[in-house]
Amino acid sequence: MGAAMEIVGSFVVLLGAFFLFSAGLGVLRMPDPFTRIQAGTKATTLGNLLVLAGLGIHHPDWALKLLVIAGFVLMTNPVSSHALSRAAHRARTPMAPTTGADALREDEAADGSGNAGSAPAQAP
Amino acid sequence: MKLTSKDVISIGSPTLFILLFVLWAIVNASLEPALIVAGVAVALAITRLFSGRERSWSGRIWRSLAVTPRALWHFLAYLGIFLIELVRANVGMLRYVYARHIDIHPGVVKVETRLASPLGRLALANSIALTPGSLVLGLEGSVLYVHWLDVRTSDREEATRQIVGPFEKHLEAAFG
Repeated sequence: MGAAMEIVGSFVVLLGAFFLFSAGLGVLRMPDPFTRIQAGTKATTLGNLLVLAGLGIHHPDWALKLLVIAGFVLMTNPVSSHALSRAAHRARTPMAPTTGADALREDEAADGSGNAGSAPAQAP
Repeated sequence: MKLTSKDVISIGSPTLFILLFVLWAIVNASLEPALIVAGVAVALAITRLFSGRERSWSGRIWRSLAVTPRALWHFLAYLGIFLIELVRANVGMLRYVYARHIDIHPGVVKVETRLASPLGRLALANSIALTPGSLVLGLEGSVLYVHWLDVRTSDREEATRQIVGPFEKHLEAAFG
């Protein structure tokens, strides 16, 4: 285990921390919940992966476990973003004033019933 | 194996069993006989619980998974494309986050997918959430509602096709 590897690993962790910081800044700066979720989801995923990769360089014997954690982060992070954004949309959270068309709202309105947005998704 | 009137109950999906057992082995980081026996028992129980009934919802999903070399290759190709898109998404996001003035024009766009399997659709929706400027708001049957960060940058339909296209090809081969 050379000192060079430790420096490389620390640098990768630092890069991951930078992306995590950017995600936090994005959540603060973006105009509405949906764009905030976008900023949060993407940057935290890559940030987490880089931190895990950096740890893997520090401790090669942890590599498989870290890979499993990375897999779980990749599977669960987007799912939570769907859940949050869909809930926000159903609660009629206002979108940023610059927002253009909203195909989901239009389709719900086209369904006729006033509570189309609260009906559970139908499995075929 | 036991046959009831309509439902076939069996051990379940071998794919799920192997997945669970490998997970167990990695988490324990040891190949002691006692641990292997315990792992096989737990993995068998969970496999039977979640994919034992052929006609149950999760049973059908797991049984439709066939791990062939071709499916595996397409899954790896999908992972490669996905990681490249993830990095691109982050670089794009950094541009917005550190811009002096955040000038975006979001919108929600409707996209059709030709993927039929629930796992394939799940993987597609998850991938879209992590690719540049897009987020899946809803999934109804074969229709995805995608929230775009900036709909001005390019033709929405064309951009959507560009995002969904490469994933769809590989996911279709991997999950059916």
